Amino acid sequence: MKEKIEIVDTLEERKPYIARKQKKGQEIPLACDNNSLAGAISQRACVYSGARVILNPVTDAVHLVHGPIGCAGYTWDIRGAKSSGIETNRTSFSTDMKELDVVFGGEKKLSNAIDELVGLYRPPVIFVYSTCIVGIIGDDLESVCKTASQKHGIPVIPVKSEGFKGNKSDGYKAACDALKKLIRRPGEGEITKKSPRHPETIKSKINILGDFNVAGDVWLIKPLFEQMGIEVIVSMTGDSTANSISRAAEADLNLVQCSGSMTYLAKWMQREYRIPYLTVSFFGIEDISLALRKTADYFGSELMKEHAEKFLESEISRIMPEILRVKERVRGKKAAIYMGGPAKALTLIKGFSELGMEVVIIGTQTGKKEDYEQISYSVREGTVIVDDANPLELAELLVKQKADLMVAGVKERFIAYKLGVAFCDFNHDRVVEFEGFDGFVNFAREVDASINSPVWKAVRQRILKPEAKESEERSGRTKRPEVKEKIPGEPYAGEYKEITIGPGIEPDFLNPEPDTAVESQA
Amino acid sequence: MTKRNYATVNPCVMCQPMGSALAFRGIENTMVLYHGSQGCSTYMRLHLAHHFREPVDIASSALSEKGAVYGGRENLKKGLRNVINRYNPKVIGVATTCLAETIGDDVPAIIREFKEEEGLGDDPEKDIIIIPVSTPSYGESHVSGYIKALDAVVRKFAEKQEEQGKPEKPEKTEKAEKPERTKLSRGIEIMDYMESMEIMEYTEIMEKGKAEGTSLEAEGFDTKELAKGKLNVIPVESLSPADIRELKEILEIMAGEYVFMPDISETFDAPLREDLPRIAKGGTPLSEIADMPNSRASLGLGIVSKNLALEYLRKSHGVPGRNVPIPIGLSNTDSFFTELAHIFGCPIPEKYQRERGRLLDAMVDVHKYLYGVKAAVYGDPDLVFSLTTFMLELGMHPVLIATGSESRDFGKRIEQVFEEKPELKYSALDGIDFDSLNDAITECNPEILIGNSNGRYIAKARDIPLVRVGLPIHDRVGAQRILTVGYRGAMELLDRLTNAILEATDTFTAPVQVGSTAYTGKRIEEECVKGADE
Repeated sequence: MKEKIEIVDTLEERKPYIARKQKKGQEIPLACDNNSLAGAISQRACVYSGARVILNPVTDAVHLVHGPIGCAGYTWDIRGAKSSGIETNRTSFSTDMKELDVVFGGEKKLSNAIDELVGLYRPPVIFVYSTCIVGIIGDDLESVCKTASQKHGIPVIPVKSEGFKGNKSDGYKAACDALKKLIRRPGEGEITKKSPRHPETIKSKINILGDFNVAGDVWLIKPLFEQMGIEVIVSMTGDSTANSISRAAEADLNLVQCSGSMTYLAKWMQREYRIPYLTVSFFGIEDISLALRKTADYFGSELMKEHAEKFLESEISRIMPEILRVKERVRGKKAAIYMGGPAKALTLIKGFSELGMEVVIIGTQTGKKEDYEQISYSVREGTVIVDDANPLELAELLVKQKADLMVAGVKERFIAYKLGVAFCDFNHDRVVEFEGFDGFVNFAREVDASINSPVWKAVRQRILKPEAKESEERSGRTKRPEVKEKIPGEPYAGEYKEITIGPGIEPDFLNPEPDTAVESQA
Repeated sequence: MTKRNYATVNPCVMCQPMGSALAFRGIENTMVLYHGSQGCSTYMRLHLAHHFREPVDIASSALSEKGAVYGGRENLKKGLRNVINRYNPKVIGVATTCLAETIGDDVPAIIREFKEEEGLGDDPEKDIIIIPVSTPSYGESHVSGYIKALDAVVRKFAEKQEEQGKPEKPEKTEKAEKPERTKLSRGIEIMDYMESMEIMEYTEIMEKGKAEGTSLEAEGFDTKELAKGKLNVIPVESLSPADIRELKEILEIMAGEYVFMPDISETFDAPLREDLPRIAKGGTPLSEIADMPNSRASLGLGIVSKNLALEYLRKSHGVPGRNVPIPIGLSNTDSFFTELAHIFGCPIPEKYQRERGRLLDAMVDVHKYLYGVKAAVYGDPDLVFSLTTFMLELGMHPVLIATGSESRDFGKRIEQVFEEKPELKYSALDGIDFDSLNDAITECNPEILIGNSNGRYIAKARDIPLVRVGLPIHDRVGAQRILTVGYRGAMELLDRLTNAILEATDTFTAPVQVGSTAYTGKRIEEECVKGADE
């Protein structure tokens, strides 16, 4: 069905990337998985960034950026991934290429830098990231790394992450390719493939793929499996080490959380080591329960299932009073989700429904066709789905869709704040865990804190008009500010439209009364 | 001490395009577009959003592999078109990244082509002005990116004027014929005064200023004549929005007409108002920038880095220019005010005399807490220079003075500051990263750190306080409101420094003991050891 009104005012070329779910079961042909449009101000970063965010949580690695200083500078300790031991990953290493290196090639400087860092830090592994410029001047990273590897007896792994060679998703792939090189084939004599064995007697082993231990998430997840008698070999890459990653192939099962980045690696491990994988999420009561049950089912152990059920029951009854308390306070509020990867976006839909909230905007930077199919299946009618959104689109959507809360990262935070919309960071900047049962309580509390803060009441009146106060008080309500903007100036090349955001729309976030219509739906 | 020659560990600088964004953001109705890969704009937006806590929209030409191989012409044009379509800016600053520079795109030529295709003229009144600036990440640092972008902006607008000709100001086109000069009672002409200052070292200038007194009017100058024409004020490093607000207030109260460029006081610290503009409101008005070549004089803030915009206005348009240190601390603020008093020909307003008096009072109040306290300071060259002079005024001992930018003049300038205190040992380092800063700190063992948030690892590890000044400050709120300039800024800085020391020494058992040995027992021991050696 063709829409009568545009969902949002944007560039012609961006329109296929934005759609609204109209009716149940409707298939939404959303454009996605393309390079960002020039000048559209994508919220995405580059290939290098994709690779860096995946690998950076490897705690004992030296992450050496071969390129000019900027690439290393902006990614210095930004991930918020916690370590239980060594923290080499929080140090920024760069070859700081200068003009001469660009002219004469940076191979020598790189190989010297590797020698130097091996001497100073004695790391068990070095990841060498290539940046835009390396791809252009053609430094042979492979051979420099190979030579260094042989010389120092440690893996020195080139990460092919030239910024311009694709988008963030290609960076995920480059990171997985680097991880592959660290994973060792389990030695002779060890049990490799174990379907017909007795899980009661031999400890089952799993890996968690796509959990980055932001704010310590993994530390809330590992115990869930340990109480079921399952050993978590490694979480990739949160709080991992070169050694723990090298043992990954000993696992019986891979649990993939961040599917956008890690499915590629999981599929490879399935081919290479015959380790199957399950896609799970550790966020929200429903998804955590599902993850534990699916895992217990996979191992087929009654004892394990029993443990899981008992554990789930006690954990849920432990946190439920707090969740219900928050639910009372946020019920019926509307949420906007804009995430890097689709997995987090999907699990958030469920999380919000557990809090009695509704999702009105959902978007990702790197979602693929099948992800958006699943998303459109999971959301209600009227929800806007968007791929690779830009700030203007997000701002207009927040207003038009009457969002009360946005969940996203730093760049989106201030858009929401300026519009008077509550915000919750589910990216690198958060300081509390959101995964696991206690993590979900943290999340609920943060949503409550942001939505119900008294600052929004203050923000409703943005201009102080003492003379108007009396009459407004008499009429029973204060005037709501408009969020609008007219582009000033002469039209250029006759192409401009006058752009007005929401004339006549009274943004819901400015409305003190709860939306009763939504409440009755919920 | 770890010795490294090849690897940079924990950088103390950002790259050139970042600096250009800081500069362009202070120009009215301006968008920035990075010609390069998508990541550059996203990372720098993130970096700036963390610090200023404002939305930051920076466009990218989003070069892909195809663009990198065949040239970025089409991407750049498309990027410009889309930015114009969505944001309708008056100015677009196009900063190159290392990718665009290395593939060898001729950005000015592409822009010319674009303008032809789109029928864009060169009239700042109705056309969109596109300003290219070459800022590859592999050259220099964010400081030079900032300076280069300002230079490019001034040139662009000045060129326009030249092309169109300014009939009302014919004297500007003929450089030999100087504009009307104002006779001063002492027989010096104001232009001569400005030019003679040009070559003097700033310490001399200050002394001269002091000797001459602050009120020109009292000495019989024709201040009305002096006050004709505007004063350009151009910093060489990005100052905080609060700093710029303070400086503008001073300039206004000093009754002078001025152009402050760039002005991020509103654009990076926007009030929550009824509308959400696509491009943050504020910034230096374009009409004022266009008028800069007609100004009477330029005042550069910062004396370590070369102020290219000021130099250009001086050489090509005969606008006399002077550089003073960024007005942080007593003497630097004094020389800033003295300068303004001379240029505007007015006395120092009572308001500032009182503020200065309050600063003196505060300095007296805290002098014992700060005396001899060993400090390490790091950051952009001119910020560090001004902080160092202030610390010396307070009786502190800056043992380590460092900047991440490579700067030929940094060491020399710092040396001049220490000339008055030959007994103090210090080391001045430029082009450092935080790892080598850490090594240097281990050697000189300071009691307090002053600089941006990236020094927090060192401060934590050594258990010493860090007073946050500079950029980035992303682990605390209020970076945009940190005031360091003027007498008020000096007072705020003074309070923060002293309170940090007090916080670190507070034992909760007894009132804090005043005096140079109050901070730690460490210094007493050291001094004993030193004494024994001697």
